[in-house]
Amino acid sequence: MARYLIVRLGQALVIVVLVTIITFVILHLLPGGAARATLGKEATLEQLAAFDHEMGYDRPWIQQYVMYVQRLLHGDLGYSFQLNQSVTEAIGQRLPKTMVLSLLSTLLAIVVAIPLGVIQATRRNRWPDYTITSLSLLAYATPIFFLGLMMIILFSQVWPILPPEAPQGFTLGEVLADPAGLVLPTVTLAVVTVAVYSRYVRSSMVDNLNENYVRTARSKGLSEGRVVVLHTLRNGLFPVITLLGMYLPALFSGALVVESLFNFPGMGQLFWQAALKRDFPILLGVTLIISVATVFGALLADVLYAAVDPRVRLRRSAS
Amino acid sequence: MSAPIDTAPHDGAPGDSGESRPLLRLRHLSTDIALRRGTVHALDDVNLEVRPGETLGIVGESGSGKTMTALSVMGLLPSGGSVVGGEILFEGRDLRSLPPDEVRRIRGVRMGMVFQDPLTSLNPTMRIGTQVAEPLRVHEGVGKAEARARAIEMLRRVGMPRPDKIVDDYPHQLSGGMRQRVAIAMALICSPRLLIADEPTTALDVTTQRQILELIDDLREEFGMAVILVTHDLGVIAGRADRVAVMYAGRVVETAPTAQLFASPRHRYTEALMESLPESVTQETGARGRLYSIPGLPPDLSRPLNGCRFAPRCRFAAPECHTTEVPLSAGEHRYACLHPVTATTTATTVRAVPVSPPAEEPEAAPEPILSVRGLVKDYGATTGGLLRRASGQVSAVAGVSFEVRPGETFGLVGESGCGKSTVGRLVVGLEKPTDGQIVLDGTDIATLSHRERRRTHRQVQLMFQDSYAAMNPRMRVDAILAEPLEIQQVGDPSARRARITALLDQVGLSRRVLERYPHEFSGGQLQRLGLARALALRPRLIVGDEPVSALDVSIQAQVLNLMRDLQRELGLAYVFISHDLSVVDYMADRIGVMYLGKLVEVGPAHDVVRAARHPYTQALIDAVPSAAPGRAAPRENITIRGELPSALNPPTGCRFRTRCPIAEQICETEPPLAGDLHQVACHFPLRPEPGTTAAPTG
Amino acid sequence: MTTPAETTGNSEGTPAQPDETPVRGLWRQGVEVFCENRLALVGLAMFVVLAAVCFLGPLFYHTDQVHTDLAAVHLSPGTDGHPLGTDGVGYDQLGRLMLGGQTSIIVGLAAGILATVVGTVWGAIAGFAGGWVDAAMMRLVDAMMSIPSLFLFMLLAAIVTPSVSMLIVIIGAFAWLGPARLVRGEALSLRSREYIQAMRSMGGTGGRAVRRHIIPNAIGTVIVNATFQVADAILYVAYLSFLGLGVPPPAANWGGMLSDGLADTFSGHWWLLYPPGIAIILIVLAFNFIGDGLRDAFEVRLRRR
Repeated sequence: MARYLIVRLGQALVIVVLVTIITFVILHLLPGGAARATLGKEATLEQLAAFDHEMGYDRPWIQQYVMYVQRLLHGDLGYSFQLNQSVTEAIGQRLPKTMVLSLLSTLLAIVVAIPLGVIQATRRNRWPDYTITSLSLLAYATPIFFLGLMMIILFSQVWPILPPEAPQGFTLGEVLADPAGLVLPTVTLAVVTVAVYSRYVRSSMVDNLNENYVRTARSKGLSEGRVVVLHTLRNGLFPVITLLGMYLPALFSGALVVESLFNFPGMGQLFWQAALKRDFPILLGVTLIISVATVFGALLADVLYAAVDPRVRLRRSAS
Repeated sequence: MSAPIDTAPHDGAPGDSGESRPLLRLRHLSTDIALRRGTVHALDDVNLEVRPGETLGIVGESGSGKTMTALSVMGLLPSGGSVVGGEILFEGRDLRSLPPDEVRRIRGVRMGMVFQDPLTSLNPTMRIGTQVAEPLRVHEGVGKAEARARAIEMLRRVGMPRPDKIVDDYPHQLSGGMRQRVAIAMALICSPRLLIADEPTTALDVTTQRQILELIDDLREEFGMAVILVTHDLGVIAGRADRVAVMYAGRVVETAPTAQLFASPRHRYTEALMESLPESVTQETGARGRLYSIPGLPPDLSRPLNGCRFAPRCRFAAPECHTTEVPLSAGEHRYACLHPVTATTTATTVRAVPVSPPAEEPEAAPEPILSVRGLVKDYGATTGGLLRRASGQVSAVAGVSFEVRPGETFGLVGESGCGKSTVGRLVVGLEKPTDGQIVLDGTDIATLSHRERRRTHRQVQLMFQDSYAAMNPRMRVDAILAEPLEIQQVGDPSARRARITALLDQVGLSRRVLERYPHEFSGGQLQRLGLARALALRPRLIVGDEPVSALDVSIQAQVLNLMRDLQRELGLAYVFISHDLSVVDYMADRIGVMYLGKLVEVGPAHDVVRAARHPYTQALIDAVPSAAPGRAAPRENITIRGELPSALNPPTGCRFRTRCPIAEQICETEPPLAGDLHQVACHFPLRPEPGTTAAPTG
Repeated sequence: MTTPAETTGNSEGTPAQPDETPVRGLWRQGVEVFCENRLALVGLAMFVVLAAVCFLGPLFYHTDQVHTDLAAVHLSPGTDGHPLGTDGVGYDQLGRLMLGGQTSIIVGLAAGILATVVGTVWGAIAGFAGGWVDAAMMRLVDAMMSIPSLFLFMLLAAIVTPSVSMLIVIIGAFAWLGPARLVRGEALSLRSREYIQAMRSMGGTGGRAVRRHIIPNAIGTVIVNATFQVADAILYVAYLSFLGLGVPPPAANWGGMLSDGLADTFSGHWWLLYPPGIAIILIVLAFNFIGDGLRDAFEVRLRRR
């Protein structure tokens, strides 16, 4: 287990290093070069040269990369002249809110998707299965912003019980103080997630229900409920833990759209506005941070899976 | 270790209540299974009885309905399956008319079931103690601590070492045999009246199989329960059951007390089945007669069937057999046959077609086609992950030497993990040896260039156990058969085409199969295709890796006969790898016995099987259940206990010494493979080599 | 059930030939399975109809999709020869749907195919090379996959001004990661199949294994995945348009039309919102249905009986 942890952590670090290389390369592909992209159109040539020198952009590229990583390690993601704020600070303000939104909708999705998937698996190829499958496909095919919009029309216009806009608080506390405003963004983001998760739970459950050990459990005269919940569900849900990690990139992409639609003051919205204004320090900083969050989220899920599933836990410790 | 059961069905079974009320009675049981392509009538009018305390053996080939009968009784039919008619009377009550909760209770408390595959039959994420104790907790409301204590006790009774530790383990930490013991413990925890064992030992090695079968026997007496033993293996039935039911195509065709059934089968199917057994030829005559093989395939049960279902494949079928429904006769020995076997019409005459001895052996022994010297194969065992680190060497093959002469069959037997398949793969060049020589037709293939080595593939071909897996599912049969010719650039397309048709004729398949795909064939047909492909390059040696192990007895006989016919015709040599001693005995001229990477005994087939010199060989022979209940007279049995040691860290010296009943200090040094014709690697061979100048047996 | 006369002396063991069912090619068997899946047929029909309307419709239904007509903005459906009304700058909505559909379908197909091709090549190389090369190639895929794709697309769209071909390149150049992983896994698993070993034991080369065995068996997985890639690409275009980084007017695509319609949500111009939204859903559903049907078609042949 300890060995597995170390190996898996090493893999994650390799990936993070590769991500920094990717962002570093993109930084240098920026139109007009890194300095121009950072300082904007009005900057004079002297300013550009000074900036290049300060950042070390006039040195060999290996040195540039080392300096870039050094700055990252010191928490320096650059400075946004458009926001007049350091990128780290801007992200620091937004990140917790995005995490809350993602976490809430993931929790909601899990709570909904597991029973749905179980119902589908236990009533395979009958109408509950077909209905849920169709709805999942529909949810998957609908652009998130269109879905969110219809939610807004439905719950703020036709039947006005919820605000159409996310809470606009500056701090996390202020955002959480307005739970009604969080409902629509959370639900919108959760719908697609439910579609993906329930499909996965279904197939994992179907696989497990076809296993011989389920027949053995039935041969012991156990009730169907006990067979499904105590024997199959546990085994069926273990792999879902890893899905939580694998799904993170898609979840964050979804959050980007949802935050933009509901004007939710998170990382996604920050990124969106930066994209419209071509504020590259913010764009690169957010990309880097969100990727690192993805890598370590996936790491966490894998480790969790290895820790709870005795098949993995014991095999790993044995070797 | 005692095996009094070998002799005859015993009358004094505990709980014996005479002829009174059967414990389980199936009356006119019919079961359907709905599939996409139609409804399969898996069981049709099955009638059976199990008396308290007796063992009923149900025997049949795949698709005969033997497992469906067991599952119908347990109410565990697969999805789409349902009992559509008849009664399942258990202790006098029809399970079909009882409320589901009641049936569930009966299933949990009064019955127990053990399944075929111990590796998948236990919940992988639940502790063993929890699984074993679960029925107690659910059905008897026993508290946690007590349930655990009783689980430990039960594990002890099924012969688990250190049950108080194993109770907290997970299934994957145990070997297959140990898991099957756990499954038995679980089935018996509530002291059921009936234990159903569905092929309980099919997935296990013979020596383990013997241990498990003996355990079931002992426990039956101890618990005074009845046992239904479902199996495809007549030998397993013969040694263990009081009575036998033979099933064919969804029906019971014959039931009788075991001794009576084996002594004088009445149904023509039972008779044919017994004649298909390789041991039926080798044991009786010792000569190499021809096996009887039942022609054709079992009927498709999704179609309406008339008359005796065996009639289309029966040698004695008369016109009325095809049209008349045949009920089971009355009495203790019941059979459903219009023209049953009688003393005067036994089919032995049909079988005893004299066969010319396998290829006239020249006076001087010819140069061997294959000569293996000191073959070694180690695999580096690594732990997965990025930081790969060798954690040892798995010694799969450790110094194996043997020779195969043209036209000869060399049999390689051993239990799983003994390295016999690796030897086969090394010989055909699928893997490279760590050390040692493989001399093919006088040339050491290690010395050949890459290109030359590819050409040597013409000489040696491999035949797989699962020909379906060994054929590209997207290629038609013509492409599959042409592939070896294309690879070796033999002939032009039209010549290849001619060769392919000739091959099909040789293996007895029609030319119409050329346009079909592998998934359209049955198992026996696929083995024929596999053989045809192996023959395409006109090799002189074919390595068959368990070529008939996946087949039913009657189909197996077809393939074995075909292999021997072609050997005689083409002068082929075979390396025949199998775990099944009786098949190897039938096929091979000489046999090599492998244990944990080493050859422990090599000699003429007849001598090795009937006068084994190595204790392991003897144990292996004793463990093989024979389909002749009377013949297996009590003899000095060598049984081995315990588990196969890991090849990662094999015992020093004689690798068998850790399980050998006669091992002594000196066995810690390695014994050489000594002897002239009948060689053995043992410090204390069971027998001296008979007559040192013996000629090859023929 | 007659075997040719030359049959060697094992007539007693001659088994029944495969059922009397007619000989059918794999292709036909696959088509039959595909047709058995009704949803797949529905998906195919949906795609054909949508594509026909978008690409053939403008031949019969002429509209001006280049010049704005500020005199005829926000006309309701049914007025003045505008069956679906007009939008905020006076374009006929139905004609615009056809034009937008062309872009969506073209970008979706092209990007999906591009991603599949790149991913297949990358994954196949990694899978066959194995060892160090494989590890390096797949770590790069892991790294790129850990960047949420929409963030990456937007970053690139912010750097280069999107045009239709640019969109294809951007999406195609980063959507290949999924197929790459899939194909690598497939290659690894196919490489160890017994029929490859059988071929090697006949003396066959690695090249033949790839040509004759691995590619024909992997192609099904690749094609199925391609249909899902197309569906995803169409959604990505919609997202980029919604986020303001789609193709600039007068070019149109359904995603862009839908995001434009968002602005009109509360002014009651429903015809600007629902038609493009539903069109996107339909085309994405269509590709998903087709993909499911193809998966069956490719798999059932492998299933015995």
